[in-house]
Amino acid sequence: MEVLNNRGVEDYQTAGPKQSYFSPYSFNGGSILAVAGEDFAVIASDSRLSEGFSIHTRDQPKTYQLTQNTVVGACGFHGDVLTLIKVLKARIKMYLHEHNKDMSSTAVAAMLSTILYYRRFFPYYVYNIVAGIDDEGKGCVFSFDPVGSYEREPYRAGGSASSMLQPLMDNQVGFKNLPKQARVPLSKEEVVKKVRDGFISAAERDIYTGDEVVVNIITKDGVEVERFPLRKD
Amino acid sequence: MSIMSYNGAAIMAMKGKECVAIAADRRFGIQAQTINTQFDKIFEMGPKLYVGLPGLATDVQTVAQRLKFRLNLYELKENRNIKPKTFLSMVSNLLYSRRFGPYFVEPVIAGLDPKTSEPFIASLDLIGCPMITEDFVVSGTCSEQMYGMCETLYKPDQEPDDLFETISQCLLNAVDRDAVSGWGGVVYIIEKDKVTKRILKGRMD
Amino acid sequence: MSERYSFSLTTFSPSGKLVQIEYALAAVAAGAPSVGIKATNGVVLATEKKQKSVLYDDSSIHKIELITKNIGMVYSGMGPDYRVLVKNARKLAQQYFLQYQEQIPTSQLVQRVANVMQEFTQSGGVRPFGVSLLMAGWDEDEERPYLYQCDPSGAYFAWKATAMGKNFVNGKTFLEKRYSDNLELEDAVHTAILTLKESFEGQMTEDNIEIGICNQDGFKRLSTAEVKDYLASVQ
Repeated sequence: MEVLNNRGVEDYQTAGPKQSYFSPYSFNGGSILAVAGEDFAVIASDSRLSEGFSIHTRDQPKTYQLTQNTVVGACGFHGDVLTLIKVLKARIKMYLHEHNKDMSSTAVAAMLSTILYYRRFFPYYVYNIVAGIDDEGKGCVFSFDPVGSYEREPYRAGGSASSMLQPLMDNQVGFKNLPKQARVPLSKEEVVKKVRDGFISAAERDIYTGDEVVVNIITKDGVEVERFPLRKD
Repeated sequence: MSIMSYNGAAIMAMKGKECVAIAADRRFGIQAQTINTQFDKIFEMGPKLYVGLPGLATDVQTVAQRLKFRLNLYELKENRNIKPKTFLSMVSNLLYSRRFGPYFVEPVIAGLDPKTSEPFIASLDLIGCPMITEDFVVSGTCSEQMYGMCETLYKPDQEPDDLFETISQCLLNAVDRDAVSGWGGVVYIIEKDKVTKRILKGRMD
Repeated sequence: MSERYSFSLTTFSPSGKLVQIEYALAAVAAGAPSVGIKATNGVVLATEKKQKSVLYDDSSIHKIELITKNIGMVYSGMGPDYRVLVKNARKLAQQYFLQYQEQIPTSQLVQRVANVMQEFTQSGGVRPFGVSLLMAGWDEDEERPYLYQCDPSGAYFAWKATAMGKNFVNGKTFLEKRYSDNLELEDAVHTAILTLKESFEGQMTEDNIEIGICNQDGFKRLSTAEVKDYLASVQ
């Protein structure tokens, strides 16, 4: 609808006063999806990094392991993603040195919120989801907005295909709009299958999602990684 | 705010085995305020032909009336039932005739051929660019959500009952993640010798 | 200033007749004969194409014309008027295609051409067409052939077989005797040639008749070689 502006059609503008802009942000696409299970958590992302209509790389997964049982998924502006992860890893190492123990997943989530809010008026353009195991040994997922509002949830999709993945997870993992008898807790394998199916579907329709899906399966023993191919076009 | 999402709507259609389904939500609102929860967005254009019109509600009703007007003239003049594909051209023509001051609707068409009962689904943009597909079409304010659902749950060659189940789940879960569509839904299952209309209850909020 | 008011020439006579139309029909009845026969699997149109002089190059003018890939047309009466109607018919057919992305059914084209002919009986500054048309078509939807006649008044008729132009009464009588409902297209072509022959003066050759056939593959005007073959088998 915004093809027409007051100076003719886009791409065919008539001469007029010119103004130069610098935008500190760009958008590099990517989707993330996390599901908390009974004693495990699954967090996955695609491996495509793009800008506009071009693909920078087909091998840049957007999940980052922070501790033995905490993984964060981060996408949006990849420059901010890298900086944020660097800061997070440094702060987690400082915590380790000060407290002589790994940071818990819940603590990582709380700290991430404060790191994000610290930049309230020049935010990291990053959508974060933290997945891990909580202090009781249960799977946990925390979702964030770019300025640090966060919430613990049973599952959450983020990034460019979040609007396709989220209703699907509502239905398949949250058992929304289904009869009561359908509500049985899912096994690790079932969750991985549903996550993978979601990404396959998202890759069909979202140009910023594709190439490969990297699935991290988090248990108290650590993180297992599985990769599955996605559409490459 | 976009005119297309002023009132809110979600419509989709799917092909099954010797049948088609078309579904829509029932909300009519003005931006965030819900006005009516029994609003029709799917219109009967023949015994086995339906059109769904998401978009600006005033244009939805005007376009439905104008299409019915053109269709009635066609069927009187030619003394036969229109084929879905011909109807698609008719819709396309009406919309393109307003190329530079469009009706703010993006129609979905579902039907069976009056002679061969061949299933047919299609959608158009607001200036009448047609798109015919072999599986499903979606249109409305939560099209991304609908694509996510349909792309995963859709299977080809489903029987009418299974198709109803699939399209209902796709619609309900999609509208639940859209603030301006929802309040239950309506599903038409169009078969060779019968059309079944069912009202869906979902999250009524 | 006289052209500011333009009245239709076609006005009722006190007895309720439109004599202009009757004159037009007289022009048709004086025109070269043409016949049309509907068979089970197609339609044939045939017409006489006699030239006044041997100097005419008759290979480049035609009386049978293609309107769409499925519909063809022939006339009895005035040639120039016919060409106006051919142009009109082709345009109407393409307008229909533009609107519906579908070939115009024969019945629709006939209705619309008839409507044009009717307008020329009631509009100002024009006269009725001096032609009757025969339109042959294959309906893709119903998978059956159609044969229509369209008169200067705008009246139209669906025929199994008919003749127009000079000696049309004899032609029709002949057809009434020869027609049967299970006629095949090949036989229909023979019958059409024989009908023309009834009133043909002089030797009938592939150069002084024209034949068009229409079946599920569409409408086509026969080449002189093909006409020659048919003539040979009729002798």
